[in-house]
Amino acid sequence: MSVVFEVVAPRLLGPAVVIALALIVKGYQDTGDGFSAGVIVALAIALRYVVLGVDEAERGLPVLRHAPATAACGLLVALAVGFGPVAAGDPPFTHFPRPGAHVVHLGTLELLTAVAFDIGVFLLVTGALTMVVHHLARLVEASRA
Amino acid sequence: MRLGRDEAWAAFAVAVIAFGACLAGWLAGGVTVDIPWAPTLGIRLELELDGLAALYTLLATGIGALVFAYGAAYLPWHLEQERRPASEALRFWPWMVVFMGSMVGLACALDLVLLFVFFDLTAVASYFLIGFDRHRREARGAALMALVVTGVSAVALLIGAVLLYVEYGTFSLPELFERATPGNTTTAAAALIVVAALAKSAQAPFHFWLPRAMEAPTPVSAYLHSAAMVAAGVLVIGRVHPLLEKSDAVLDGMLVVGFVSIVVGGVLALAQDELKQILAYSTISQYGYVVVLYGIGGSAAAGAAALYVVAHAIAKSALFMTAGAVTVATGESRLSRLGGLAREMPLLAAASAVACASVAALPLTLGFFKDEQFFAAASERGGAVRVLAVVAAALTAAYIGRFWLGVFAGRRRAGARGIPGLLVAPVAVLGVVSVAGGIFAGPFVRLARDAASVTHGAAVELAPSYHASATGENLMALVAWVAGALVLVAPRVREPIARAVARAGDVAGPRRLYGLTLLGLSRLSTRLHALEVRDLRTSIAAVFVPTALLVAAGFAVTPTRNSYALGSIERKDLPLLPLLALAIAATFTVARDRGRLRPVLALSVLGFALAGVYAVAAAPDVALVAVLVETILTIVFVGAFSRLPRAPMDDRSAPRRRPHRIRNLVVGVLAGGGAFAAIWASLSRPTPRAVDAAEYIRRAPEAHGTDVVTVILADFRGLDTMVEVTVLLVAVFGVASLLRRGTVW
Repeated sequence: MSVVFEVVAPRLLGPAVVIALALIVKGYQDTGDGFSAGVIVALAIALRYVVLGVDEAERGLPVLRHAPATAACGLLVALAVGFGPVAAGDPPFTHFPRPGAHVVHLGTLELLTAVAFDIGVFLLVTGALTMVVHHLARLVEASRA
Repeated sequence: MRLGRDEAWAAFAVAVIAFGACLAGWLAGGVTVDIPWAPTLGIRLELELDGLAALYTLLATGIGALVFAYGAAYLPWHLEQERRPASEALRFWPWMVVFMGSMVGLACALDLVLLFVFFDLTAVASYFLIGFDRHRREARGAALMALVVTGVSAVALLIGAVLLYVEYGTFSLPELFERATPGNTTTAAAALIVVAALAKSAQAPFHFWLPRAMEAPTPVSAYLHSAAMVAAGVLVIGRVHPLLEKSDAVLDGMLVVGFVSIVVGGVLALAQDELKQILAYSTISQYGYVVVLYGIGGSAAAGAAALYVVAHAIAKSALFMTAGAVTVATGESRLSRLGGLAREMPLLAAASAVACASVAALPLTLGFFKDEQFFAAASERGGAVRVLAVVAAALTAAYIGRFWLGVFAGRRRAGARGIPGLLVAPVAVLGVVSVAGGIFAGPFVRLARDAASVTHGAAVELAPSYHASATGENLMALVAWVAGALVLVAPRVREPIARAVARAGDVAGPRRLYGLTLLGLSRLSTRLHALEVRDLRTSIAAVFVPTALLVAAGFAVTPTRNSYALGSIERKDLPLLPLLALAIAATFTVARDRGRLRPVLALSVLGFALAGVYAVAAAPDVALVAVLVETILTIVFVGAFSRLPRAPMDDRSAPRRRPHRIRNLVVGVLAGGGAFAAIWASLSRPTPRAVDAAEYIRRAPEAHGTDVVTVILADFRGLDTMVEVTVLLVAVFGVASLLRRGTVW
């Protein structure tokens, strides 16, 4: 593999995370959602595995080991947003503020429960895909040894 | 030791409370619950504690409570025998309680779908209970057989329910009783429901699962196979009887099946040596009586059937518990090794004598009235039925006499040790109930009358009493007892016949057919699987050939006029052309290139080209996802290939195959042409969901969003997204457990 690839690929994670955050922050107003954002982050992580190999990739970025927890956390967030309203007697997936109500904006980010749901999906997709990459990479590594 | 007992007493407490609640509900005149469940399908949680429900819930909870108390003493002994820890009781009592709950639900259900759900729940719980000794192969086989026979036939109940729904637009039984008219649909649906019920009640030719199910620990048999699981079948028949009455063919069929079951069960009971086997065949025979009564129909038969279920459940449950207590005391379970226990176990002998008398319908027991009513109902139907009824009663008297005399009378063969009083007390209670019912029949008659008025659909007169006169019923009973006694005292005649019938059943009976069917299905599945995984070509064919057949069937039935429209190419479509040309070129590379990495890269070029098409066609969200998925697939491919050995694949080592050029060409052209035609046809039609899409676009701003796709994903169809991501996570954990033996990371 070319040197350029080996140098550039591992450093793509930063930009990928920024793009993912941008997709979430612009939220409801433009193309892209939590799923796309999660896939983008997972993409950068997968690239890192391909270039560096499993051991190197995980030694340099120990935070990857929290992928299962991230995925589970995302599921919990999504569940809480989706079914929280049931506790108050509303149908599931009732989002707040309600239609027509005022929405607080932070720049382009709208403070909506729908966006919180999207963030849950983002965490889940990121964690789950990272787990798949990790397991496949371990398997490939084991079959080589 | 304490551990197992605490659960037993908890289960007992639940049963007692449930019994009290059901009794209170019945005396208060019934309880009704009606909640919409799936309104678009017309399915409701429609439950009513009416007369019929009261009868079966009181049986399920009352006998349940006694059996649970019995089990508190029996199960520790059983676990010790099987060398299993006492904590295994945790695998037992919850299922017993689940079973009781589903039985109560089944008794109260007025909605056919709900009925089906509870019907299957009882089957699932019984599977775990029959297979409780799961280290024993026979127990596992018996559990599976019970599940397959009752579960597969339960599908017939569902099909019948759907037939009725399609025809009359409701699953609710009270509404169906009003709307249904005699006709082919009603007959077919009624027959299907009856098939499911007969299999559950172990009637010929589905009876063979019940004797096998005797692998279960005795409390399970005493509960499920006397008062609950097998009663579920006749409960369903009693519940849907107003529908069955609209078809004479179904009623006559039940009459035949019932009599066949009575005779088969009775004769085979005479041939058995194992105590529980005798009782199992006796149960088949006894529920045959009930099926006959429902087949006769009318108000007298409905009352008799309800009374029969009560009397039989009480007596049979006591007899199963007797068999278990005898086995605990002596270590023997076979008639040929038992005898003369009356002196050592006088209370048990007396109590089970009463239960036997009740089954054989001797006076001063509740059972007397069941046969009195049975004879009365049979007499209404005339000569042949009358004779068969006497034969049935004679057989019953013979095998039940053989059971009691074999265990408690005659020469003493095996010594008995002292057993816990708790193994005898429930039998004694049931014996007392049987006698009390024979003297003061009032409460039982009221229960049966209420149940029968539901079955019959109108008020039912039921007034059993003793007549010391030469009425028809008394004479029939007398003839039956004498005939039964004759069979009993003539073992030289009886035994060869019974054995011959048993052997004939083994050689050519339905159980053998079941075994052969299962074996055949297993072989077929093995062969299909071997074919599917033989090589890559067959694996792919296994997916694509059925798909192609389905699509071809679609072509065959769809009118083709106006299906293939040619649009015009406008200025805004021009950017699509180079993208599509790129896709075509990439496709050729994928198909023709013999290298390793180039086809993969060509495949991703194809993907990116299509993503470009989406982008141009104003679907930026889809385009974004397509780009991301293409990228990740390419990376996975490259990553995997970079780990493969460098040397090119050695073609020479692979076995030479005849090139199938012509076949490949034909298949390729057919597949490509078919896919092309299918896509062309679908693009030629306007999308049917355009209305929904327009509605989503209109309402997106209300949800504070301008990107419709995101709003749909997070808001309008949020529940779908939730389920999808959950599936994703579950799949990933599945991948982890398959690849790395369950390590999450």
